[in-house]
Order: sequence, then structure tokens, then C-alpha cells
Amino acid sequence: MDFTKDLVDKFAKDLLIGLTPEENKMVLDEFKVIESGMDKIANIPNISEEDVMTHPLEYDNVSLRDDLSVRELSTEEVLQNAKCKTEEEIIVPKVVM
Amino acid sequence: MESVIRILKNANKEQLLKKTLEKVHDNQELCNSFVTIMDNAKLNPESDSVLSNIPYVLKDNYSTKGILTTGSSNTLKDYIPPFSSTVYEKLSLAGAIMVAKSVMDEFGMGGTGLTGHTGIVRNPWDTSLIAGGSSAGSAASVAAGVVPFAIGSDTGDSVRKPAAHCGIVGYKPTYGMISRWGLLPFASSLDHVGVFARTVSDVAIVVDVLKGKDEKDMTTWDSSNINLEAHLNDSVNGKKLFYFKELCDISFYENPSDDLKKVIEEFNNTINVIKRIGIDVVEESFPKELLDAIPSVYTCISCAEATSNMSNLTGIIFGPRETGNINEMIINHRTLNFSSLIKRRFIIGSYVLQRENQEKYFVNALRVRNRIVRLMKEKFNNYDGLILPCSASHAPKIHGTTDVIRQDLATLENHMAIGNFGGFPSITIPNGMIDGLPIGVNITGNIYDDENVLAIASHIADSMPYEGQIAGDNK
Repeated sequence: MDFTKDLVDKFAKDLLIGLTPEENKMVLDEFKVIESGMDKIANIPNISEEDVMTHPLEYDNVSLRDDLSVRELSTEEVLQNAKCKTEEEIIVPKVVM
Repeated sequence: MESVIRILKNANKEQLLKKTLEKVHDNQELCNSFVTIMDNAKLNPESDSVLSNIPYVLKDNYSTKGILTTGSSNTLKDYIPPFSSTVYEKLSLAGAIMVAKSVMDEFGMGGTGLTGHTGIVRNPWDTSLIAGGSSAGSAASVAAGVVPFAIGSDTGDSVRKPAAHCGIVGYKPTYGMISRWGLLPFASSLDHVGVFARTVSDVAIVVDVLKGKDEKDMTTWDSSNINLEAHLNDSVNGKKLFYFKELCDISFYENPSDDLKKVIEEFNNTINVIKRIGIDVVEESFPKELLDAIPSVYTCISCAEATSNMSNLTGIIFGPRETGNINEMIINHRTLNFSSLIKRRFIIGSYVLQRENQEKYFVNALRVRNRIVRLMKEKFNNYDGLILPCSASHAPKIHGTTDVIRQDLATLENHMAIGNFGGFPSITIPNGMIDGLPIGVNITGNIYDDENVLAIASHIADSMPYEGQIAGDNK
């Protein structure tokens, strides 16, 4: 899949982000550098046989903690960041049109 | 060098706090280091804690209950967290006083300190220069002598590079040694908590307070057997460091700049100092194709993780809510409030995660990451650490510096991401001056070997005249 101006706009749309023409061009320019680097990586000897590393440390003794029911936030704290609210409720945008 | 924090332990804390807040405002005018200044900061009851009533600066990506936390982004410009990060809680419990929250590159994505929503951060050594990023305000405030320590975060080199540009110490311990609960995530497999100070002793003291297993962060591990400060004076005689000839031999560079020549010259001077204190330093080779791959590997992994981590920034749950139907609200929120840099990173992250692209980009990046880390660990079987210059020059000029990824980006500017790939403990100390401006050297060791890495760094710093310096003191 070639990385083109139209493709940049498609990804921006999927991500719900608007781009200016200048920003679109910057993405393309930056991607050329990454593409060049990744082409070189693909040619590193035996790289396809290498394990993937998703995390720096190995955790062989991890267990999930028990769920504890606690009341963390007061109504006042919950409403603190809500710009649209009634006395005790957050007003959310209409989702079903 | 003696700890600044321990010296301040016996100071008049009321006067210290008052003086510190004056310096905070002076520094704000000079460098624009802060998003929030805590003018109403109060003294705590004095205690035995080494950090009792010691003032500090916190990067603005650490959640602080009831106190603005923006990540230096317009998307969170009015966000007040209902909970606190473990780092903030531990420092508060130890009696330390947060006097300001510092400007950073938006969400930590950047290395310049130029992309925060409240404006650019200037370097206190020369305000026409960048402080480096992403932990720009934290570095600038320590370098200017405002506070004895500051907290940063480090995903690629965001503590260790600004430390070099500002002539101070910057340390990120082994991955998971400090809880990241409440730290706004950038790239979770690379994110580390880090500390700035003007001496190695001070970063050791602060990390000793911060470290420990945290039930809220499953990547933390039990470090109760580690005491960094207690081991700083351990003998380093017979220790062994190595460096990559591919990065430190000037003949590997085509048309090297005068600054790069001076950086390499200062590096060689430092190597000679290190050898004189009984540490062996050996030139080693590392596959050039892997070193050259570091910027692309870092970009692929970090952008992919960031795209996922920040998908909740819609303007619906928090942040400025824009107008329109729900889709238009989100589009307007993200379009109007994310900087250009963040938008570009998200698109690249989304692209490399597409099913048809994953193998070539994301999976290959994870394979290279594994190979680099595996080869580093093989080196650490024979050596106590890797030592390298932190950058190819002193801090660059603000004018002309961008975060655009460039074809000619030097590997020398990006090698510290190795520390994040492997979760290795890594510390920057100042090692020289170029044209009156500081530069730094970085030491990286094997995971869990933090005591050894800090002892080596402490002895080296003690052997040079740069530890403890404050910007502007010689003017």
C-alpha cells in the first residue's frame, strides 16, 4: 500500500482528525524517512526469524489483584471536569439521531 | 559531590520556600518553564524524611488531584484530575513541596520543548536555545537553580537529552522501578519515570523515595533490596565500560560539523578521566544497520502505542467540548486542539498498525528492538555499562529547530532510545562545555543494575568540574 496524500486524508478521517494541506505534506515527508528506514530493516539478515519484543521486562509471576468495591469519587468530583451539567448529572451529546 | 537536598535539609524552610517561589517567577519570565505555579504552597510539618519541605517541580503529565494537569495540550487545558499519580502521592507523603508543574512537549511527543500549549521553553544557559524535551520545563528549572530536583518522564530520551542540553544530571531507572500510575501515557512499553537534579547523589535520593512495587501499576517490581544512595561510594576500580566506535570515531562521519568534532574531543577527554579513576573503557563495535534503524523503530513503536493510548481524547469525557453532532464534536476537538506534531504521529501510528502493514512496519520494529536489546545484554555480560555522548552538539537554536523527522537525522542524536527499548537504567551527567554551553555524556547499564550504574556515574561526575553547576553562575 503506497502512502499517498489521499491515504493520509483517509487515515485522518478514520481518526476523526482534520489536516491542513501543509500538515498532510509534512506527514508524507516524514513517512518517506520512516519508509526508507523500514526498507533497510527488512533487509537486515535473518530479521524475520527474530522474536518480537513488546515489553522490556519478563514478568513470570504476575497475578490479577482481587477486585475491591470502593467509592472513589464524590458526585462533586465527578462533575468537576464536566462543562455541560445539571445539578447532579452530566449532559452528554446526543448519539442516536 | 555532596547532595544539594541534604545541604538544604538544615535550611530555614520558610525562607527556602519563599525564595524558591521568587525564583520560580524569575524563571518563568526567563524560560517559560511552568504551566502552573503553586503560589499558595504551604510548609508541611517537619519530619525525618530527607525530602521534608524540599521544593520540587513536577512535569505536567503527572496527575495531581485538584490541580490542573494538561500534558501541555490544549485538549486538556482545563483538566483537573480527580486522583493523584503515585509519584505525586509518594513525594507528598515524604513532605516534599511541589512549587510548580512544568511545560513539556505536548504529551511527551517531541524533543525540543517547543510544542507545549503555553509556549516554548528556553534554555537558561542561553535563552536563544532550546532546553530540549520533552521534559523541558523540569530541566530548565533545575539548571537555573530554582529547585534541587524535578520530575520528568522519558519515552525515548526525554529526561536524558534535556539534562545534557541544560548541563545537569538526568536519570531514568530500570523500567518498572517507579510506578507510572497517574502518568499520562504516551507509549506504555517505553515510558519511564525520570528525575533531574544537579548531582548524582540527589537523583539517587529521590529515586530511593519513589521506587517500589505499586498494586496500581502491574509493571512495577519489588526493589526493596536496592538502596541507590547507600552504594554511590562503592569502589569502581576494575569496572568496565564500552562505547560504539561507529558513533565515537570521527572518521565514521562524512563532513562532521565543528560542534561534532568538539563533542567527540570532549568525549575522549572524559574517557581519559574515567581511565584515571580505575575504570576500563573499551571500544566495541555494534551492527551499523541496527544503530541506523533506531529512529524508525522508535517512531513505529511509539506512534503505534500512542495512537491507541490517546484514543480517549475526544473532548466528550474531558477537555473542551466543541459544537456539532457527536462526530463533529470529536473531529473539531481533535482538529482544533491537537498540535500538528501530534496529528502526524497519530496518522503514522494508525498506518503502521493496519493489518496489511503490520508485518513490514510494526512487527519488524519489534523484531529489531529485540535484536538490539539481546545484543546489548550480551555486551553487559562483559561490561558494566555503555558510555556515549548524548548528542552531536550543545543545545540547538530555537529558531530553525523542528520536530520533523529528517532523513539526515544522526544516530548519535537517537541512540538513547536503546535504554527505553530494553528498560535499561540510564543516566546523563554533564561532561564538558562547547562555546560556554553544556554537553553531557550518557551511561546505560543492564536491567536491575541501577546501584552499579549510579556508583559509576557518581565517581565519574566527581572527577570532573561540571556536577552541581547552575546556569548563569559564571556570567
